[in-house]
Amino acid sequence: MNFLNTAAEATAASAAALASSDGGNTMTITEALGLSVTGIAVVMIILALLAVLVVILSKIVRFFEKAARKKSDKNAAKSEIPQTKAALNAKPEVGKTVALDEKQSAGNLELYKTDEKTAAVIMAIVSKESGIALNKLQFNSIKLIEK
Amino acid sequence: MDIINSIIEIFQTSGFASLSWQNWVMILVSFVLLYLAIVKKFEPLLLLPIAFGMLLVNVYPDIMYDPLAIATPGGEVLDSSAHWYDSGVLRLIYCGVKSSIFPCLIFLGVGAMTDFGPLLANPSSLLLGAAAQFGIYIAFLISIATKYIPGFEGFSTLEAAAIAIIGGADGPTAIYTAGKLAPHLLGPIAVAAYSYMALIPLIQPPIMKLLTTKKEREIKMNQLRTVSKAEKIIFPIVVTVICVVIIPSTAPLIGMLMLGNLFKESGVTERLSDTAQNALCNIVTIMLGVTVGATAEGKTFLDLKTLLVIAIGLIAFAFSTAGGVLFGKLMNVITKGKVNPLIGSAGVSAVPMAARVSQVEGRKYNPSNFLLMHAMGPNVAGVIGSAVAAGFFLLTFGS
Repeated sequence: MNFLNTAAEATAASAAALASSDGGNTMTITEALGLSVTGIAVVMIILALLAVLVVILSKIVRFFEKAARKKSDKNAAKSEIPQTKAALNAKPEVGKTVALDEKQSAGNLELYKTDEKTAAVIMAIVSKESGIALNKLQFNSIKLIEK
Repeated sequence: MDIINSIIEIFQTSGFASLSWQNWVMILVSFVLLYLAIVKKFEPLLLLPIAFGMLLVNVYPDIMYDPLAIATPGGEVLDSSAHWYDSGVLRLIYCGVKSSIFPCLIFLGVGAMTDFGPLLANPSSLLLGAAAQFGIYIAFLISIATKYIPGFEGFSTLEAAAIAIIGGADGPTAIYTAGKLAPHLLGPIAVAAYSYMALIPLIQPPIMKLLTTKKEREIKMNQLRTVSKAEKIIFPIVVTVICVVIIPSTAPLIGMLMLGNLFKESGVTERLSDTAQNALCNIVTIMLGVTVGATAEGKTFLDLKTLLVIAIGLIAFAFSTAGGVLFGKLMNVITKGKVNPLIGSAGVSAVPMAARVSQVEGRKYNPSNFLLMHAMGPNVAGVIGSAVAAGFFLLTFGS
């Protein structure tokens, strides 16, 4: 930025000299042309500098935002584990809808008079017997059939 | 007899006896501007108050009367009992223009209304905003060259710089610069700047059409990326520091513009942002528009200098538009056809009129094209560009 300051100061000094030499009246076309070229160059340089800064700024901000997002995803994944454990110990409720982790299976599972521990065992058996990974299976409901 | 005397007296004090032909010409001009504002809807928010101010001052010139301005060449006021409050009502309001308070407040409002997102998503649009300042320097050269007109003494360097800023298509910047460099030309410069800004939908399209091919005008641009809130908050702070450190004289304009924008983007000053972009901006626009129009009093307005200012202003606008479009063409070549050159014309600041013109022209040739957001980038960059150009002149010629 120093060079820009110097350029601007030099232009100001030369213009002041011109102004004093002609009593502040007019400059010649050649002088005006020189000043115009300097002027448009200064505008171009400052705005180009801003453009470069915007690019750098955007990259820095996006880097930090990405890092922050990754961190929050990790924290969210960690906080989900105790919830699952708590859910496994919970008592069965009639018609309760349980949203399972994506890594376990897709969609919502409705349990009718079945506890979640039993449901998890049933799902694991189905996956093992069918040879289909659990996350490729979708269970809609598990219902206890009473005799 | 008394009745006849009264009638004679009424006639003598009426405008029919006191107004000059120049006033009547300006009244006609104001009618044309009112027609354009109301019927053609050319930026009515600006043009209507300007046109009405013009009408008012020409039917009643004393509304801009300034007793303190009637002075000896040495600056001694002739009427020693005169006070500032004896001035015409519009002259009193005009103090806000002369003192540069209104332009700065308008910039505050513009900043609060501006979304720099498109510019941040496509930083190269800053270069388009810079290229569209080309007309400023052409106008400067032409103003200097007027000394070669036979019988005309020419514009001084300071006057030429003040006139040149009309090419930035930014009313507040033009007023601010004229107030500092050539206050006696403030009226014509302000009228030219605001009138041409309002007439942008008429001035720009033929130039855009002339400088681009049909194929270029049909180019569809890719959707811009989403810009995060953090980027939008940091940007006004960075711009203020960079611009003001390099050219300190840009501080009042850039500072107010970026303050307004920070009000909007920070999200913690909603009331201030709302006031800046609505109530404050509207109030200042009314006062600025009417008083700027009121500087166009026929007897003083219709002279060669004023007419030259108006003519050079139009040339400046045309060259600024051309500069933006030509740079847009260059960017189109560099990016291998990804930039529609029509967005370059929006680099003249006039926010958001110039961007709207790019959008309208783009859709004429490709109805599925949506250039508005792409044009907003150069458009807001133009505001910064014209403020920097003005700052350069102030740094160079300011005392």
